[in-house]
Amino acid sequence: MAILEVQNLTHTYGGNTPFINDAVSNVSFTVEQGEIIGIIGHTGSGKSTLVQHLNGLLKPTDGKIFIEQKNIWDNPKEIRLVRSAVGLVFQYPEYQLFEETVYDDIAFGPKNMGLEGEELDTRVREICKIIGVRDEYLTKSPFDLSGGEKRRVAIAGVMAMNPKIIVFDEPTAGLDPRGREDIIGIIEQYRKATGATVIIISHSMEDMAQITDKLLVLSRGELVMFDKTENVFKNGEKLREIGLNVPIVTRVFNKLKELGVDVPQDVFTVERAVEVLKNLKEGDSNA
Amino acid sequence: MLKDITFGQYFETRSPIHKADPRVKMVLLILAVVFIFLSQNILSLTLSFLFVMGVALASKVPLKMYFKNLKAILPIIILTTVINMFYGSKESAVLLSLWKLTITYDGLYRAFFMSLRIVLLIVVSSSLTYTTTPNDLTDAIESLLSPLKFIGLKNAVHTLALMMTIALRFIPTLVEEAQKIMNAQKARGADLESGNLKERIKALIPILIPLLISSVRRAYELAEAMECRCYNGGEGKTRMKQLKVSAVDFYLCGFTAVFCTGIILFNIFF
Repeated sequence: MAILEVQNLTHTYGGNTPFINDAVSNVSFTVEQGEIIGIIGHTGSGKSTLVQHLNGLLKPTDGKIFIEQKNIWDNPKEIRLVRSAVGLVFQYPEYQLFEETVYDDIAFGPKNMGLEGEELDTRVREICKIIGVRDEYLTKSPFDLSGGEKRRVAIAGVMAMNPKIIVFDEPTAGLDPRGREDIIGIIEQYRKATGATVIIISHSMEDMAQITDKLLVLSRGELVMFDKTENVFKNGEKLREIGLNVPIVTRVFNKLKELGVDVPQDVFTVERAVEVLKNLKEGDSNA
Repeated sequence: MLKDITFGQYFETRSPIHKADPRVKMVLLILAVVFIFLSQNILSLTLSFLFVMGVALASKVPLKMYFKNLKAILPIIILTTVINMFYGSKESAVLLSLWKLTITYDGLYRAFFMSLRIVLLIVVSSSLTYTTTPNDLTDAIESLLSPLKFIGLKNAVHTLALMMTIALRFIPTLVEEAQKIMNAQKARGADLESGNLKERIKALIPILIPLLISSVRRAYELAEAMECRCYNGGEGKTRMKQLKVSAVDFYLCGFTAVFCTGIILFNIFF
C-alpha cells in the first residue's frame, strides 16, 4: 500500500515578482510502506524544497500530496497533524536544540502532540533505547554534548514523535567518518524497531548505496530517475550528465572492466566489493 | 513572511541623487530639516514644499514609495492635526464650538501648517534613505564623526561605524537563520500561530534560544576571522570604495543654498 503519493508537485518561489523560479516542477512519485528512499541531486536541484512539502511546511503551488491516501491540504487547519505523521530532520538539526536538559528536548515534539505523564516518559525512554542515548545523558544540558552527540539527540527529538515517515535532509553533513557511520546506524536501528518509511537526502553516494532501496534523482527541480538503487547506479552515464556520480567503488570496478579485467558492474558497496574480489582471487588460484 | 523584512529602504534608480556623496546628502538633509521648521509663513512653506517635491522627483523613486512611508506615520499626522486645531488664538473667528472645545480659523490654519511640515520632513528624510545604501550611510557617519579623533575618540568612531556595518550585514543572515529554526521547530509540532498572548510568547522560546546561541557563535567566528586577517582597529585602514565629492554634490549644495536663502528672505520680508 502506498504510504506517500506525490502528484504533479510544482513549487514556484517569488510568485508575483520578476524573479519567478520553479524550485520543483511537475514531480510525481509513490513510496510504499517501509521503503528507504534516497533523494540525490545537485545543489539547488530542489531536494530541500521537495521534502518541505511532505510535512506541509511549504504549500504546493500546484499538485497534490497524499499520505495514506489522504490529501494533506484537505483541511489546512489540521496541517499540524501531518507534521507528526511525517517527521522532518533538517540539515544541522543540532542548531534547533534549546531545552535545559536532553530529556526535555527530546520530549518537546511528543509534548506538542499532546502526550503527557507516563506515556510521554515511555516514549522518550523508548527512543533513547533504540538509538542508544544513555540514561546519564538525559539530565545533561544539550549544549554540553559534542557535535555528533548533539545531532543524535536532535534526531531523537524528531523520532520521538513516532512518525510514519521520517525524512532526513543531509543527516551526515559535516561529520567525520565515524559520526557518519553512527548516524546511518541510528537510522537503520530506528527503521528496524518501528518499520517506519525513511526518506534521505544525501550527497554521499556511498551512504545511499549502503542503505537505500530506491533512489529519486532530481535535476533543476525535475525528476530525472526514480528506480531501484542498483538500477540508478548502473546508469552512471546519466548521473554524470547532471553532475552526479556513482559510488567510488563502482568507479573503481568500471575502470577495472575498461582495463580488461572481467569484473561484475553491479558493485556499489565496499562489502560487496570485498566479496567479489575474494571470489575473483579464489577463482584465480583455482585456475 | 520573514523573508519580506527589509532593512533600510534603499531603492535603486539611476538618479543624480543616488550618485551624490552620502556625507553631503546627510549634511544637506539636516540643513533642510532645520529650514523646513523655520518656515513661518505661507510663502516660505510653499517654498519648502517646492524644494521637497524637487528632491523627491529628482530621486526618480516612485512617489508611491514616499506615500507608503507617510501612511506609516498617518496616526501621528492625524493626532498633530487634531490637537493643533483646538489651539488657535482666541481672537480668531470661531468656526465650530463643541462643549468646551472650540475650533477657530486660526487653529485650522495652524493644524494645516503643522501637518504639512511633518509630511515634508518625512518625505525629505525618506529621500535620503531611498537613495543611499545602509553601508554608504554608515561610511558617511564615520567620515562625518571623524573630527572626534582630535579629542581622543578616534577608535570609538571607527568601532561605532564597524558595529553598524556588521549589524547591517548580519540582518539577512539572521533572518534566514530564524526562518530555518522556525521551520525546524514547526516540524517538531511547535504551534506558532494560535493561542493567547502568553502562549504565543512562550512559543517563541524554542526559536529565540537557538537564534541567540547561533548569533554568539557567529560573533566568535567573525572575530576570529577578522583577527586572522590582522584586523587591529581603524589605524591605517584604507577603503576600497572612497567617498568622493563630485559635480552632483555642488549642484545639490547650490540648490539647497537657494532654498535656505529663500526661507530667510521670506521670513524677514513677509
